[in-house]
Parts: sequence; C-alpha cells; structure tokens
Amino acid sequence: MKLSFCAIKKTAFAVVLSTASLGSSANSETLDIGVLLPSPIADVGWSHALVEGFNGVKEKYGDDVKLNIVENIQEGPDADRIMNKMVGDGNKFLLLGSFGYMNSGLKLAKRNPDMSFIHASGYKVGDNFSPFTAKYYEGLYLMGMAAADLTKTKKLGVVGAYAIPELISSINGFALGARAVDPEITIDVIWLNSWFDPAKAQASAKALIANGADVLFSNAQDTPSVVAVGEEAGVYVFNLNSSMSEYAPTKYLGVVKTDWGPFFSASVDAHLNGNFEGRNEWLGVDAGVVVTEEWSSDISSEMVERIKTVEAEISSGARHVYDGPIHNQDGEQMVAVGERLDDGGILGINWHVQGVNTPLPK
Amino acid sequence: MTPLEFFLAGTMSAATVFLLAALGELVAEKSGMLNLGVEGMMAISAAVGFVVTYQSGSHIIGFIVAGAAGIGVSMVFALVSITFLANQVATGLAVGILGLGLSALIGKKHESLTVTAPDPIQIPVLSDIPLIGPVLFQQNIVVYLAIVIAILISFCLNKTRLGLAIRACGENPKAAEALSYSVLKIRYGAVAFGGLMAGFAGAYASTIYTPLWADGMIAGRGWIAVALVVFGTWKTGRIFLGAYLFGMVSLGELVVQSFGVALPSQLLSAMPFIVTIVVLAIISSDRARLRLHAPYALGETYDGSEPK
Repeated sequence: MKLSFCAIKKTAFAVVLSTASLGSSANSETLDIGVLLPSPIADVGWSHALVEGFNGVKEKYGDDVKLNIVENIQEGPDADRIMNKMVGDGNKFLLLGSFGYMNSGLKLAKRNPDMSFIHASGYKVGDNFSPFTAKYYEGLYLMGMAAADLTKTKKLGVVGAYAIPELISSINGFALGARAVDPEITIDVIWLNSWFDPAKAQASAKALIANGADVLFSNAQDTPSVVAVGEEAGVYVFNLNSSMSEYAPTKYLGVVKTDWGPFFSASVDAHLNGNFEGRNEWLGVDAGVVVTEEWSSDISSEMVERIKTVEAEISSGARHVYDGPIHNQDGEQMVAVGERLDDGGILGINWHVQGVNTPLPK
Repeated sequence: MTPLEFFLAGTMSAATVFLLAALGELVAEKSGMLNLGVEGMMAISAAVGFVVTYQSGSHIIGFIVAGAAGIGVSMVFALVSITFLANQVATGLAVGILGLGLSALIGKKHESLTVTAPDPIQIPVLSDIPLIGPVLFQQNIVVYLAIVIAILISFCLNKTRLGLAIRACGENPKAAEALSYSVLKIRYGAVAFGGLMAGFAGAYASTIYTPLWADGMIAGRGWIAVALVVFGTWKTGRIFLGAYLFGMVSLGELVVQSFGVALPSQLLSAMPFIVTIVVLAIISSDRARLRLHAPYALGETYDGSEPK
C-alpha cells in the first residue's frame, strides 16, 4: 500500500517534472505537520505553548515543513473527523493536543504506519504514537516553596479543571513544596469539571479568596481568568504553560512554563530520518521542558537561593518530589522514608497528599 | 469579604447574566416567538461588546453596540421565521450556531485579552453595613438595572395596552389581527427586544462579570436562560426567582468545594442542571398551570394572508 502510493506519487512527479531527478524528490518534499488543538490559540496558554514548540522545527527546516493548525476542537466526533481529514490531506506528522484525542488518534496511527503521532497528556503508546507529558509537579514543588514564603494566611488555593492524575500530581507537588517550607500550610482546591469556563474559573478564584487563600494556582486554565482575579483582589497568582504576567503586573508569582521545543524538534528529526519510535515521553526539569521563571521580586532572596538549590537537585536527580515519607489526606503513610513513588504511581495518582483540604472527587 | 458575603453577593452578579437573557426571551415568547438562538446572540454580543469596550475604553459604548449586535442577530431569526415563515425551532437553532461561529471570528484578535470591570457602586453608610452592605449595596449598576427591567417588563406585560397586544399575538395571532394589531410588527418588535436583552447579557458576561474575551465563554448560559422562561412558567417574578436560584446553586457549588465538604464535585457541577430538571418536572406535573401560562400560539408561524 505504502509502496504503491509512493510509486504513484513519484510517477506523478516524473510526469510533471520530467527533468527532475527522482532520487532527490523524496527529500525536497515538504513535510506537512497537522496540529489539532483543544482551545483557541491566544497569546498565552496551553495551545499557545504547543504551537510555540514548533518554532525550532520551523527555523531548522524553513519552507520544508508546513504547519496545518486546527484550533478549538472539542474532544469527540468533531475531533475524529478533523483528524481523519488531516491524514487525508497528506499530513505525515500529527500533533494531537488534548487527552481525549487519544483513542481515535491511536486507531489512525495503526492504520497509517508511515506517519508519526505525538499526543499530549495521554498514556497509550503505539509503534508510531508517542504520548508526551510534562512533569509539572517538579515545577510546582518550586512554586509551592515560593508560595510558602509569601503567604500570610497559610492558605493556598487551586482552581483545577478535571481531577485527572496529571492535575492531581501537580497539586500534590505544590502542596509538598509549600509544606516542606511551612508544615502549617493547607491547600483548598475547586474543581471546575470543565476545561473551559472562564466565568466559573473567576467565580472559583473569588470563592477561594473569600475562604482565606492568599496565593492562587491556576491549574490547566487556558485563559487569564484566575490570574486577572488575583491581581484585582491583591493575592499572588501563578499559572502553567506560558507567562501571564501582563495580566497580573504586581501580583504575578511566576510561571511553570513548558518549553516543548527540544522534544518536538527531536520527534520531527526522528520522523524525517525514518526512525521515529513510539514511547512514553515524560519530560521534566532535566529535559529543559519544565521551566520555572519570572519569579516575583517579592520572594525573599533566601528563598530564591533555596529554590535554585532544590531545582538543581531535582534536575540532577539527587532529589525527587515524591521522596518519602509522604502521607495522604487521612494521614496514612503512602510512601515510606527512603522510598520514592515510582513513575506508574505518579502517572496514575488518585490521592492527595496531607495538607490538601478538599477531598478528591471519586 | 467573608465566604457568606461572597456567596450572596456572587449569587446576585451570577444571576444577572441569566436574568437579562431570560427576560428578553420571555417577551419574545409572549408574542409567540420561540427563539432558541439566545446562546448565539449572547456569544456575538459578548464578543462585540468586549472588542468595543477594549478599543474604546467605555463600558457604556460597549453595551450599546453589543445591544445593537444582539438586535442584528435576532433580526436574522425574525426575517427567516416571521417573514419567510420558516420553522421557529430550526431557525433559532441555526441562528444560534451561526452566532457561536461568528463570535469566534469577531473575537479572534482579542482572544484571552482582559478589560477592567467598572467599580461597583458605593452608597455612603449603606454600603458599609456588615453583610448587607457588600451583598446588596456594592454591586455593579447593571445588577440593579436588571431588577428594574424585570419590574418594568412585568408591569408592561400585565398592565399596559402594549403588553396586551404582545400577549394577544402569542395566544391567538388571528384574533390580534382582527383587533387591528399588526402581528408582524409586534412579533418583530418582541424578537428585537429579546435580541437587545441577550446583547446586554452577553456584554455583561464579557465586560463586567468575567471581564475577558475567550471563545466559548458563554458556556451554555444562553440555554439556561431559555430553560428559565419555561421554569418560570412565563411569569416575570418566577423567572427572577429562577435566575437567582440558578445563580445561587452554581455559586454554592464552588463555595462548598472550597470548604472541603466531602461531596463529589462532579455531582456539584451538575447541581444547577439537576435542580432545573427537578423544578421543571414539578411544574410540568401540574398540566393545568402550564396550559394556563404558556402562550397558546408559541412556536407557530403566522401568515396573516391565509385564513387559519
């Protein structure tokens, strides 16, 4: 199938460009990259960070790669239809930007062995299908330390989208970092049960502030909804993926940024060299994917030093966020002293650490 | 602000979005026009209102233009369903979907930008009373205007000649025509008013309640407004209560979560809808009451030239 298709294509080429050499045509063909995104590309947020991730690829290959982006596509039948169309349109490399694109994406990958797929936030792997996730919790641990330095009420608030392992492990990382500095700190969480409802996110942020939180964590919110409330109400606030400091000029605590550049470039290179292999890509501080920056100038210089030290330890592997002892909300020991929660345990985490007030929705 | 103050004050501002849109839909339905495009009208107006407010810096201009945009979209619905006699349900749905798509296009360049919400009013002495002050006397002006509009609409529909004419068109357009009312004009007017109110609701959502633009931010609130009209059995007072109840339940969910109460948050998120369904079921169980209040000719196209 693949062979005959190539043959037809090459025949077509030969007819049109009768003088062109067949050998070089394979290399000079443009690589079409299909990008499917769950939210609109704005100046900030998740989709923005994913598109930015291709900057390195574009610089390196110039006109030889072409990005075909379809944004704001809800998970479900619509996404399936567009994915199939992308394949039909001749895209050979697909980025699927949302967890819920997983099953249909994997089916497509099996049907199109000559293509390569990278899929955000999933866990299923295929021969040509790599799920990728950021170890947000590593950056969140550092954010927790900074929050602990600034909180006066000793209450931190989190606005989260859905209670899935990726978000739970982030909140746990945040709690572990904050409580490593000050064990009296507690964390309130509000789950929106929606990836996208800015009005509800803002109301949630206000509810957390009313309940005493003075540092807010905007967890997986693509709009500056929570960040804007933080500035307005005068509480520190931070978010993930890309900087929103312009929405909170005086109260921005910092950002846990994801720089997908290194990973995307490596994946496209591998595809073009014909050695793309599907595997679980779980990338953190050491891979340069999770980057914490734009720290608030209000954080004490001692704490900045401490954060830098811990960041270096996480990067070198000397320290791990999920090093024991770790207790769950009920005080039961989940990770013993000297032990470390394994990758499977973190990727599938369904419990909150001690200090998180809100029970996890079951 | 204490959690209780936040809860009560937040209820009022959350309810205003529903109230504005539902009042407009009430007037349209009273005239016999079932406009299901409220979600789309709100989305377009939210986008237009945001863009204009962002560019001009004036919330008032933003509101005016958003209201005009709401009327504009509603006129598409009116033209197709009143003049061309198309099915109201199908037309309303189509216009709603069109509105959602257009709103994304209009707001494209302003995606995820923010504006500053105008300061809430401050009344000397009253605003400083504990609990009551922050809840009742520190709201945005639109919150109070919505309540005033509700009272005016109730008065107009029940006590004035215009209200009688609107209701006549919704109950029995042929009889209204016989009384020399122009059903066409009145229905056009009622639909336009619905568009205007949906426009205000959209502008309130994108420039005051959640002062930012993001595609999809109306997030089903227009549909809730449509449901509220049935929920309130086409009576202004009940629609008002419904909007406030809905605002309260949707906000209560967040407050309950922040207190760490051990209830599944998925259930809490579904609460506003569950409450709506339950109340609707209770109201609908009394068939006589429904029949008494539902406009008899609701959703029926009316062609004056043909005897019915």
